[in-house]
Amino acid sequence: MVTDFLSYSLIPLFSALAIPFISRKSQRITEILANVTLLSGLINVGYIIGYHIVKMDFLSFTYDAFALLMIFTIYLVGLSIVFFSTYYDIEKDVNLTSYYSLILISVSAMTSLVIARDFFTLYIFMEAISVCSFALITSSSNKNSIEAAIKYFFLTFPASALIIFGISILMLNYGGFDFDTIKLTNINFLTVISLSFIIIGFLIKGGIAPFHFWTPDVYEGSYSPISAFLAGIVTKIGGIYAIIKISQILLNTDAGFRISKLLLFTGMLSVLLGAFGAIVQKDFKRMLAYSSISQMGYIILASATFSPLGIFAAVFHLVNHATFKTVLFLNSACVEKETGTTNMDELKGLEHRMPYTSWTSIISLFSTAGLPPLSGFWSKLLIIIALWQAGNKYYAVIALVSSIITFAYFMIMQKKIFFGKLPEKLNNIKEARTPLLIPVVVISVLIIVIGVFFNRVYPLLEKI
Amino acid sequence: MNINFPLDWFFISILFFTGAYCMIVSRNIIKLLIGFEIISKSSLIAIITAAQATNNINLAQNIIMVMILIEVIVVGSGLALIVKYYRLNQSVDILKMINLKG
Amino acid sequence: MVLYLLIYFIIILSATISVIAKKLINSAIMLAVLSIGVSILLFIYGAVWAAVFELSVCAGLITVLFISAVSLVKNDEESLSENRVKYIVFPFILIAIIIISSIFVPEYFLELQKFSTYNTEKEKPIGEFIWIYRGVDIIGQLTLLASSVFIIKHIFFKNKNIKENGGDI
Repeated sequence: MVTDFLSYSLIPLFSALAIPFISRKSQRITEILANVTLLSGLINVGYIIGYHIVKMDFLSFTYDAFALLMIFTIYLVGLSIVFFSTYYDIEKDVNLTSYYSLILISVSAMTSLVIARDFFTLYIFMEAISVCSFALITSSSNKNSIEAAIKYFFLTFPASALIIFGISILMLNYGGFDFDTIKLTNINFLTVISLSFIIIGFLIKGGIAPFHFWTPDVYEGSYSPISAFLAGIVTKIGGIYAIIKISQILLNTDAGFRISKLLLFTGMLSVLLGAFGAIVQKDFKRMLAYSSISQMGYIILASATFSPLGIFAAVFHLVNHATFKTVLFLNSACVEKETGTTNMDELKGLEHRMPYTSWTSIISLFSTAGLPPLSGFWSKLLIIIALWQAGNKYYAVIALVSSIITFAYFMIMQKKIFFGKLPEKLNNIKEARTPLLIPVVVISVLIIVIGVFFNRVYPLLEKI
Repeated sequence: MNINFPLDWFFISILFFTGAYCMIVSRNIIKLLIGFEIISKSSLIAIITAAQATNNINLAQNIIMVMILIEVIVVGSGLALIVKYYRLNQSVDILKMINLKG
Repeated sequence: MVLYLLIYFIIILSATISVIAKKLINSAIMLAVLSIGVSILLFIYGAVWAAVFELSVCAGLITVLFISAVSLVKNDEESLSENRVKYIVFPFILIAIIIISSIFVPEYFLELQKFSTYNTEKEKPIGEFIWIYRGVDIIGQLTLLASSVFIIKHIFFKNKNIKENGGDI
């Protein structure tokens, strides 16, 4: 493991272990401790990155840029979720005994995962994240949440078995499974088979087509801030991070050709399936789940080109997509809290009452579809350029077309929910409370800032 | 011992098939978990035979210990979820879980 | 050679009975027998520490967990209305597949073995492996253990608003 960042993963673990002893006194201390831990970690990482961005001085940047970006994203999404769920539940209807501890342990396990240098360490921490997610899904008190948790459990554990088989074949071939060991020796046919097993296992965990069957049910039935947590970071770190790492290993070899075909096909399938699936949905959260599938297909497409441009386009899109989806899911949680339903046919014309929610979701959906000058535009552009340069011209055209389809269905959603006339029974809802809006507004500002100042962010990405 | 390697992996694949059959066919969720257990055991044997062919047994012992720990925690949380579901819905039939469509 | 075949026979027999058993408690007990078989197999291969660990944890702890869960989920009407045909037919399918695939499958695995690289260094003792080489896994195990405590506490929450029927433990 890279031990520069070890403290980022141990401090949330110690806070999580200290919470049951502290919370005997009051609930407020728990919440304050959880928030402060994540906030301090975020400021620390943000200082390291921001210092280098502002000064444009990258010669002294000796850290591993990929891991640093991932840690920044993890802490950002984690802090938003913890802050949001502190103010979300007023009636104390929800199970809060170990909620903050579980989120802190998930953040710690994810940080340890991105600084691992070994397949087996990756596997251990991925199991830790999955197991914590089972419990977090059941936090709400309706019947659907248990069913969503059971579906998540049974549809993602074949992935664990497949990954262990892949690791055992890899061990047969090399006697070990460090990333460095695999990079240096010759890559032969057996490595391709074992890496295919491992990739299929991680695709199931990440919710990519054709293994996406668990995604809409789980996102719809779980507790709303936890949907944002799952879609924002867990399926990414648990699934797609390993695929990007594998494509970093196979960067300049020509045996990655067959894996490249497999990944390109899978990415294309999930982009199209997510786009067409999202058009016919009636429920807000399900539609967001399908658009998650579609966007993660873009990341797979970018990393399947096995070129340096493709890899950092994939990483940048991963970071961006974490921010978009967090904003959208948190907005849907606000809407559900205020109106009590997530059916899109019943919600109309909320803009008059909830202006901030409407504006932030407009910003994030423009960024998802790829409009300039927001940050989504740059990442989509890099992905399409990477595909074009690698010679897969048809895929680039299809990616461009489905980006337009993304824009179309999001505008339909926006028109249905936020614009239009306000019907009678929704006449007395208010804007969501101010503390609920703070994380959403902060992330939206971050999206705009990254988009506008992209020429300063670009040298940072080249270090990956 | 090297003559045993194909035989070992042949038995591993048969055990895997047994576990997969149990998972596909059964209607009770706890049977599904038992099938998952059988698949996990087969993967443990896969690790040890792969390590024996490359004379690396101590590394494999380490991995097996960690995997047994992971398996216990996963089974424990799975059973906890099932018991909670039973308390709310009074049945463990897998065909009745159609509340969330899709 | 005969010893290997005997152990494999025990493992597959217990797995088969575990699949086709009618009551759930019999399946759980057969799972314990399977764990004992796997533990003996590990011991024959020379992995003594893993064998002891497997015996104490899997054949003990998991079996106790399963039996307690099966007792909590007692449901007598459900277990009789299931279609028993697909279970009874399983051993025959298994024997058919063994006979068919034993003709050409082991040659694939023989090919697989040719790719293996034989590690000719001296074996390091197990203590060094746990603490020095894979010391990072200790953090992983600590994380898992800590999370499991909170998970069980989180799932069984006595909410005063939900109506739960099923009685006490």
